[in-house]
Amino acid sequence: MFENKLEVSLYRYNPEEDKFPYMKKYSIDKPSKDIMVLDLLNLLKEDDQSISYRRSCREGVCGSDGMNINGKNGLACITPLSSVLKKNKIELRPLPGLPVIRDLVVDMSEFYAQYEKIKPFLQNETTAPEQERLQSPEDRDKLDGLYECILCACCSTSCPSFWWNPDKFVGPAALLQAYRFLADSRDLKTSQRLEDLSDPFSVYRCHGIMNCVNVCPKGLNPNKAIGEIKSMLHKNKKDIIASDIN
Amino acid sequence: MRGSIIWYTQRYSALLLLCYVIYISNFIFFKDNITYFTWSNFFLSFQARLFTSLIFLTLVLHAFIGLWTVGTDYLIDRTLGFLSFALSRHANLIRNIYFFIFTLFGIVYLTFILYIIWT
Repeated sequence: MFENKLEVSLYRYNPEEDKFPYMKKYSIDKPSKDIMVLDLLNLLKEDDQSISYRRSCREGVCGSDGMNINGKNGLACITPLSSVLKKNKIELRPLPGLPVIRDLVVDMSEFYAQYEKIKPFLQNETTAPEQERLQSPEDRDKLDGLYECILCACCSTSCPSFWWNPDKFVGPAALLQAYRFLADSRDLKTSQRLEDLSDPFSVYRCHGIMNCVNVCPKGLNPNKAIGEIKSMLHKNKKDIIASDIN
Repeated sequence: MRGSIIWYTQRYSALLLLCYVIYISNFIFFKDNITYFTWSNFFLSFQARLFTSLIFLTLVLHAFIGLWTVGTDYLIDRTLGFLSFALSRHANLIRNIYFFIFTLFGIVYLTFILYIIWT
């Protein structure tokens, strides 16, 4: 009897009306074909216009619709319903650890503050060449697996260290980007970047539990990048300064 | 304090503790007849006393880093707020009391150990 119905449990919270957040259950007809979780939310929204969530590109590029789907963070637009359904049930919550603005919409200020902290831009004060700063193919290869991050925050919000210290621990997403610039042969602020990360919290709060790797919708490995940053921090400081000069 | 110093301290102290476990296990498993006298003779040697003193200093240091990490993760306004809003308002005080208690415990523990070993 219930096989053709989907039971959706959705986190609801409107601070203007609700004292506390609550889980609201919706029952809808099971779609005839496999759809994405975002499509499911769109179907729900047709019936209940008050449901709030972020979405934009609907193809896993913008990173807007990161949410907790049946206990695991992911992008709703590229998560097929069939891959997450458990006994025709699905539970949707906002990304954990960040303040909820409304329903599935979270306040990402702390996440972006950490991203800003790592100075996510190339720093090179030498005179710019006429056309572009060239890299060898080998140096360019070092950026693969780093530049693809779309800042959806799925990784950082699955990390307990980020939950507890979002103001001090940089978090996997921003650390992946920190390493993206540390590994870039064109960037000349390596020692300064490392100095900024050398306190006991920024990098060292990562205990390598690999939740970030488990949830990354782009299949990236922030844990490996963090390991590389730690290796660089442990290197002789003189070597790093020498590499900056060269 | 640099994060790398804490990182290295925790790992090298763990390695030293492993060495001590091997050192003591070697005595326990390869000594034929362990009596009170062989055991006390073992600990009368300067080498065993020095190593044991160093190890307990290392143990306290290792535990301090671990407990400090736990305190700065779980005894903060954000995490205590899960239990009660009133507790979260006093998070700094609670965390400092926690630090004081385990620091005091570590010092007392180490003093007793050194006293027992060297007297």
